[in-house]
Amino acid sequence: MRWMTRPGIHIDRTGSAWLIRRFIDPDATFGFVTDRADVPADTVPFDMRGVEFSHHGEDCTFETLLRRHDLLDPVLWRIAAIVHEADLEDDRYDAPEAAGLDAVLRGLSMTCDDAQVIELGTAIFDGLYAYFHRALLAGKDPA
Amino acid sequence: MTAHPQGVTMVAGTAGWWVLLAYRVPRVPSTPRIAIWRKLRSLGVAQIGDGLVALPEDARTREQLEWVAADVDAAGGSATLWRAEMLSARDEQLLVTQLQQARAEEYRSLLTEAEQLGADPVTDRARTLTRLRRELRRIRRRDYFPPPEEELARYAVESLAGRTGQPIRVEGAPA
Repeated sequence: MRWMTRPGIHIDRTGSAWLIRRFIDPDATFGFVTDRADVPADTVPFDMRGVEFSHHGEDCTFETLLRRHDLLDPVLWRIAAIVHEADLEDDRYDAPEAAGLDAVLRGLSMTCDDAQVIELGTAIFDGLYAYFHRALLAGKDPA
Repeated sequence: MTAHPQGVTMVAGTAGWWVLLAYRVPRVPSTPRIAIWRKLRSLGVAQIGDGLVALPEDARTREQLEWVAADVDAAGGSATLWRAEMLSARDEQLLVTQLQQARAEEYRSLLTEAEQLGADPVTDRARTLTRLRRELRRIRRRDYFPPPEEELARYAVESLAGRTGQPIRVEGAPA
């Protein structure tokens, strides 16, 4: 499936692209359109105003994707907390990692194009997943 | 390093593009209406008129206002987003000044609190310091044209950190 989102991606779209590729649609490809009206019919839009996989209520897109696909993995929800706080900063979660990851991705978007950010973001989020997975198993932050 | 590069640029009246949100939200129920208002306040918008707010345009402000527009839709209201350029440099300067003054007031109250805290015993400071730092970060996040008070507040908060023996954060990091 081809997934479409707005260009100039930041943490919610980068994290969502990783989530889609790893947990929802392994064959996912990504494209970028500014206007919702330009989303081709056979593609799935995400993180755009007024579409299903987007912000809903208090949720950011990453959280919406988790809910709509019944993904209950606590490691994914731990990452969701970071994405949410970096994106919305409403103190819904305690996620001190948010500020750091926010800076990393803002920096990447200055030196890379969106497709590259998605690729690099995949590596970053794979690492985060491994880290919080180990933390969950150990019951404490890994050394 | 120049203390306030953005501030200096703005005095010249070159804010450039603004992103505008024109919105109407039903009066009742009041909960979503209030949530929308809070969100706009936390973004530090300039109130141009009734149901019309503006922010200097960048990728983040545009996106944030898009989400507010989505909230307005969800609340049964109507919202449109606009990209605008002010025709009068003088009007624009007034708007920028208005935003600067709103932030300056927030920095001043933070400054006052930091100074009062400085009089407390060192052992009582740590928790309040964490809160003040977070508050400072919040204000800087919605500060698009930093006034001189920004540096004063930052200095006051960080000198508290110095006295509690915590490392002083690197200055000049963008908000």
